[in-house]
Amino acid sequence: MTTAALIHVVVSGLATGSIYALMAISLVIIYNATRTLNFAQGEMLMISTFVGWAVYQRLKLPLLGVMLVAVVGAALLAWAIERAIIRHAISATHFDVLIITLGLSLMLRSAAGVAWTHDDFPFPSFFGDRPMAVGPVRLAPVSLGIIGASLALMAALWALFTRTRLGRAMRAVAQNQRAARLMGISVERVYSASWVLAAVVGAIAGVLIAPVIFLSSKMGIVVINGFIAAVLGGFGSMPGAVVGGMLLGVIENLAPLYLPSSIKHSVPFIVLIAILLLRPGGVVGRVARRKV
Amino acid sequence: MKAMLAVLTAVVVAFALAPASAQQGVTDTEIVLGCSNSFSGPLAFTGEQATRFGVDLYFKVVNDAGGIHGRKVRTIYYDDGYKPQEAVANTKKLVEQDRVFAIIAPQGTPPVVATLEYLEQNKVPLLFPFQGSPVTRGRKYVFSGMTLYDRQSKMMIDYLAGPRKYKKFATLYQDDEYGKAFLTAFEKDLARLGLKMAAAESVKRGVTDVSAQMAKLQAAKPEVLFIVLTPGPGAQALKERQKIGWTDVVMVSSGPLTDERYLALAGDAAEGVEGLSLWPDPVASDLPAMRLYREQMQKYFPKNEPNRYSISGYFAAMLFTEGAKRAGKNLTRDSLIAALEGIRGFESGLLPPVSIGADHETQKQGFWVRVERGKFKQLTDWLRSD
Repeated sequence: MTTAALIHVVVSGLATGSIYALMAISLVIIYNATRTLNFAQGEMLMISTFVGWAVYQRLKLPLLGVMLVAVVGAALLAWAIERAIIRHAISATHFDVLIITLGLSLMLRSAAGVAWTHDDFPFPSFFGDRPMAVGPVRLAPVSLGIIGASLALMAALWALFTRTRLGRAMRAVAQNQRAARLMGISVERVYSASWVLAAVVGAIAGVLIAPVIFLSSKMGIVVINGFIAAVLGGFGSMPGAVVGGMLLGVIENLAPLYLPSSIKHSVPFIVLIAILLLRPGGVVGRVARRKV
Repeated sequence: MKAMLAVLTAVVVAFALAPASAQQGVTDTEIVLGCSNSFSGPLAFTGEQATRFGVDLYFKVVNDAGGIHGRKVRTIYYDDGYKPQEAVANTKKLVEQDRVFAIIAPQGTPPVVATLEYLEQNKVPLLFPFQGSPVTRGRKYVFSGMTLYDRQSKMMIDYLAGPRKYKKFATLYQDDEYGKAFLTAFEKDLARLGLKMAAAESVKRGVTDVSAQMAKLQAAKPEVLFIVLTPGPGAQALKERQKIGWTDVVMVSSGPLTDERYLALAGDAAEGVEGLSLWPDPVASDLPAMRLYREQMQKYFPKNEPNRYSISGYFAAMLFTEGAKRAGKNLTRDSLIAALEGIRGFESGLLPPVSIGADHETQKQGFWVRVERGKFKQLTDWLRSD
């Protein structure tokens, strides 16, 4: 194996890793605000990408327009789901909400099958597949583009969380709901906002990854790797989600280079178990110590 | 008590006597067929096309023309989502509750294999399953559909190592029964010619990235790379080859993969790809029978595009109709099997003349294609595997 080939494989892994990271971030956003996991996150990504694509087919919009439609579609879908279903389960246990989102994911996948069939569809890309030569190394613009766009989105999220009132409110709710409420923060609005924000991040991830894995009712499965990435980074931590996602993408790609390729899909789980055993707080997290 | 016993006895006797006269699933006005297939899960598109837009399309035409010896054909389908245990439950339900005459065009090696024993034991014909593993061979009540993988492999290796004179082969295969059956067959056929597989890498269903596998395969420097995958990952492999600028290799797709959807997904990365095609092009072919198929599709399902999966179901229904016509007015499972075994040189207009012998194989051929300007161009006449 040449170094050039190795670099290509690593960059390719970073690109998929960026998508895992975005998925992990959307899971963490909802988790931090509401303490529940949204298992329908992957299917919401899939639906919003389909909506963008359907509008693209009709109106022949430029790709930026497609992304905008997908983002608006995702926001509306998330707002509707949160208001119509999740909000009513406010007194239910976290476990109940988890099952509700699991059911939602199945419903959304079937609905996509009815609306658009279970076929795979090609999806237009911002970036090309033809390699650029950088010295002896060949890099695919699509990989670099995905990494760049994801990093830009992460930076925007960071600014949102640290610089805006909404971001600060969301962090406050994540730390202590009762205190946040006493400070005059509307916890319900934060719930809504976090669902919408998570869906928007998912929609952008969907539009970025669809040209690579193709648009289909099955593409929501990427949520599993997003979940693993979030745990790797220490569930609840945003920087952890980014590191976890990138790490997972690269490990997943490097493992089959040196091991039989059939092992590729078990690697994430092996890493997950190892991390949980050795560093239960995740790679960047600290183990919480409680005074008793 | 005595009265109840008498009634019970009467019922039991009635049941014991009744079925002897009539064949299950066949009445004076109707023939009932069915199958378990994928209407959800990874092969949902294929399953729906083969049944509701393939088998049913042909039977709609037959029924509108008066049916088979005055009997209309009715079909029943259940979803197994590509899960063997569900396929078994569905098939039992079809046989025992819906009382179908035969199973037609189920899909996928694992689900189909799971139902084989049950159907053989109950003497229910299993007609033209959409799968190519040779495990269906040599069974009294089973007629295979798709050209079996070992036959496909033989045609591919003989053509590439023969007229094309290639010597170094590698394979990128799906990590399941489909991929492994092909890999085993390739290795056997190469060994016959004194050659060996230079490298083989596997891909799991639902993969997001195949760059590592492709890097390993490139390092082995093969002249030919076989791709034994489903359309999504297959197209990803083609795009990956474009990304790494790997040009000195001939990419060859397996029979089930060589279809228009895979081309559409790969876009310009598909240029120059070769493969074994099992059907004439359903969209562009000028064969009169293929035109008729497209016209019928336009008439009954105007929103559905012609494709290879629907044509395979359409062909299955056509073969059943031919067999049932030959079996005559007294249609039974055994008379159907005898009639199918007697088919010689049947002109479907889609494939070369079909002869079904004791081996129960209905398709044994394919032809070579190369993608030129986004379309499959035929490079050979029909290749034979016997």
